[in-house]
Amino acid sequence: MFKYKKTKLSGLIIAVVVCGTLFSVVASTVFFGMFHQRLMINSAAVSSKQTVSQADIAVSGYMSSIKKKLNSLCAEANSCASEAELQSVLSTSARLEDDIYSVMIYDERGRLLLYGNESDDKVKDGARDMLLDKSELVSASSGFTVTDPHVNSMYKDKYPWVVTIARQEYSSLFKQQVYVAIDYKFSQIATYIDNISIGQRGYCYIINSKGDVIYHPQQQMLFSGIKSESTDKISNMTDGTHIEKDNIYCLMSMSECNWRIVGVSYNDEVTRSVRDQLLLGFLFALLFSLLISLVIYWILSKAVTRPVRRLVASMQEFEKQAEAFEYKADMSNVVEFQTLSASFEHMVGMIQSLMERVHNEEIILRKTELKALQAQINPHFLYNTLDSIQWMCEQDNSKDAVKMVGALAKLFRISISHGNEFITIGDELKHAESYLIIQSYRYKNQFTYSFDVDENLLNCMCNKITVQPFIENAIYHGLDRMVDEGEIKITVKRDGDDILIIIADNGLGMTEEQCKKVLEKGRSDSKGIGVKNVDDRLKIYFGEHYGIKIESELDVGTTVTVRIPMIEKGHENEY
Amino acid sequence: MNIKKILISLFVLCFAIVCFIGCTHTTTKSAHGKVAVITKGSDSDFWSDLKSGAVSAATEYNLELTVEGPDNESDCEAQNKLIRNAVSRKVDVIVLSAIDYNNTAPAVQEAVDSGIKVIMIDSNVNVKNTQSFIGTNNIQAGKKAGEAVEKLCKDKEKIYIGVVSSGENTENNNERQQGFADYIGTLENAEIVKTVYVSSDQDNATAEAKRLLTENPEINAVIGFNEWATLGVGMAISELDLADNVCGVGFDSNVKCVGMLETGEIDTLIVQNPFAIGYLAVSNAATLMSGKSIEPSIETSVYVVDRSNMFNKDVQKVLFSFE
Repeated sequence: MFKYKKTKLSGLIIAVVVCGTLFSVVASTVFFGMFHQRLMINSAAVSSKQTVSQADIAVSGYMSSIKKKLNSLCAEANSCASEAELQSVLSTSARLEDDIYSVMIYDERGRLLLYGNESDDKVKDGARDMLLDKSELVSASSGFTVTDPHVNSMYKDKYPWVVTIARQEYSSLFKQQVYVAIDYKFSQIATYIDNISIGQRGYCYIINSKGDVIYHPQQQMLFSGIKSESTDKISNMTDGTHIEKDNIYCLMSMSECNWRIVGVSYNDEVTRSVRDQLLLGFLFALLFSLLISLVIYWILSKAVTRPVRRLVASMQEFEKQAEAFEYKADMSNVVEFQTLSASFEHMVGMIQSLMERVHNEEIILRKTELKALQAQINPHFLYNTLDSIQWMCEQDNSKDAVKMVGALAKLFRISISHGNEFITIGDELKHAESYLIIQSYRYKNQFTYSFDVDENLLNCMCNKITVQPFIENAIYHGLDRMVDEGEIKITVKRDGDDILIIIADNGLGMTEEQCKKVLEKGRSDSKGIGVKNVDDRLKIYFGEHYGIKIESELDVGTTVTVRIPMIEKGHENEY
Repeated sequence: MNIKKILISLFVLCFAIVCFIGCTHTTTKSAHGKVAVITKGSDSDFWSDLKSGAVSAATEYNLELTVEGPDNESDCEAQNKLIRNAVSRKVDVIVLSAIDYNNTAPAVQEAVDSGIKVIMIDSNVNVKNTQSFIGTNNIQAGKKAGEAVEKLCKDKEKIYIGVVSSGENTENNNERQQGFADYIGTLENAEIVKTVYVSSDQDNATAEAKRLLTENPEINAVIGFNEWATLGVGMAISELDLADNVCGVGFDSNVKCVGMLETGEIDTLIVQNPFAIGYLAVSNAATLMSGKSIEPSIETSVYVVDRSNMFNKDVQKVLFSFE
């Protein structure tokens, strides 16, 4: 089973937004990175090719200009009439061209015939025959031969690096085939190659057709083994760019000689720069997306979280106190929330009116119930009273019997009184008196009673059968078991706008606990109206302020005070 | 509200990171660091080859490079001034060839104390916590010179050797001398007659070498332990016309020395690889700056060049520079 932690709506929104932006940033970075890296490597390969072809053009340019020079020298060598003339031509051309170190004419067997150089140096004693590789020259008897760079040591204390370019020509002056050769200073080409850079660390070097390194910017290191070039592999490569794992190689065969230019550049430079850019881009994107998510969060919280939270708070408050709650619908921008809020408002109204209805119905029910109770007549009371009347008649005590019957009739009449709830205090007192009359026959000489009534109040209204239950209680519980004659005193007086009806006896009295019990529980025998019924009835009709107060002390007596509002006759329907 | 705070602090954090990385990014891209190469001298072929090696590496690793040296190869004070100048420029690495094993030490110590990393090349210094020594194994080179003398004079009954060296306090010369003397000590028929010290100019070296040869006519082998001394030896042999009787052995590939190798005044040259020294020093400086450590000692190779192999394709590349 999965266990889900409870989350808040805002947390959920944040999580979704942040995850979404993070995912999109990472995905786009990775995608862009792969794409970009390939693009960068390809463009590095292209720029490497461009650099190498520029180098080719430059070096080949040198070569072809030398070849032109050589052609014109050959023509001169053919046309000159004397050796001295040719010598001056050689010297002049060596002097005029800065990059030409030396110009030489060899005979068929490679012996030096004539030479010229920029400073008219003489060939030093014991200088080696400089026609390096005769076979090479002979084999190239038609067209040009270009040697590998080598040191020219013809002249004293000078050891420049040169490339010898030579061609064979028939000389009418020497009457034989001669080799015309130009030693071209290699330093210019070397400097050019040295200064080439591809990317940050990439470089160029030259190999010949056999794969030997002709010139390398760091050739001293190559020779001493500190650096190595995999020339075997490279010499087998075709012209063009070769993208390998670590390097991009770009090869190009030169048009003017059998050399090849090799451009080497490093992939990791490109990938590192891509990685750096990517990292930076990623961080900027992250920043940006966080900013966006902040904005989205703000919008969402305004649109969703806040209304939901308000609704939740309102519901919680409504739960606590339903009746006094007031709710006004939000004017949210989101239609759903507006609907929800309006529905809630409507629901609150419905619930409140329902509650009120239930409350009112309950009151009506109680009133009906009470009326039914009032209509009840304790049958034992009736039997006893009728027994007493019968007994009186048998004794021919017709006077008392008449009085008794009269009292009983009044009692019933008043207690029914056309089904009205309210009767005048005067009638209520008559009802009480009738009851007292009947009871005083049954409990002969056991109690006396008296009334103390404010005459102005007799026409005020009160609930019927308000007084009788307390008189009944006083007789049965207070006076019945008394040895001495008891006394019941009924007082009606005004207290401000209220009327107090006080029923006091000097009977056995009750403890405080008994007093409470009397008020709390209804009458258990369900004979007539109990003290609690009266109290409830008063409270239902008039409110909490009104009702019954019982004061009692053991062996002293009990005083019951009934407080009702002063109701003029004709105003009883207001309650 | 709490979530909003977290979000805002996250945002601020990200912003700070972006700023930080952005800053470091641009600074690392503009310059990887400063390297000062301080040589012993400025006008010999050895130093110019070393410089081109250094420049080659500096280009490759994108470093800001200065190469400078005093005019005179025995001017210890001038070199110290260059070191202190480099310290005040706050370079990251100093590459140094010390003129004086002991007298250069205080300036190097100051540099090390101020947090600058020092790589010694060619000639070491009496300071313990330099990063590395890159250069010729001078004892081995001295031994090779000894072997060359032995080979050249194998027909002679007894070998009397004159030594021309420069700067008694220069570490590399001393080591070469020591290696040489150790090897000569193992030969029964050889002895070192006299040792003279010359300064770094041609006239002085020639004069001293000439005096050595004229005062000690029994000498049949002379050796010069650096470029200037070798030049002096060659010139002296040439001027005294002793090429056939005295064999000359020298160090480094000065153009004139090479010329005399060809013409016979000098018979063998021990050629170092200054380009490699310069290149390796600066590339190792780059390694140091990237926070990695380097080998405490890196040896570069030496070539023994004589008349028979001097124009070999590969030897040419070492012997003759392109400028």
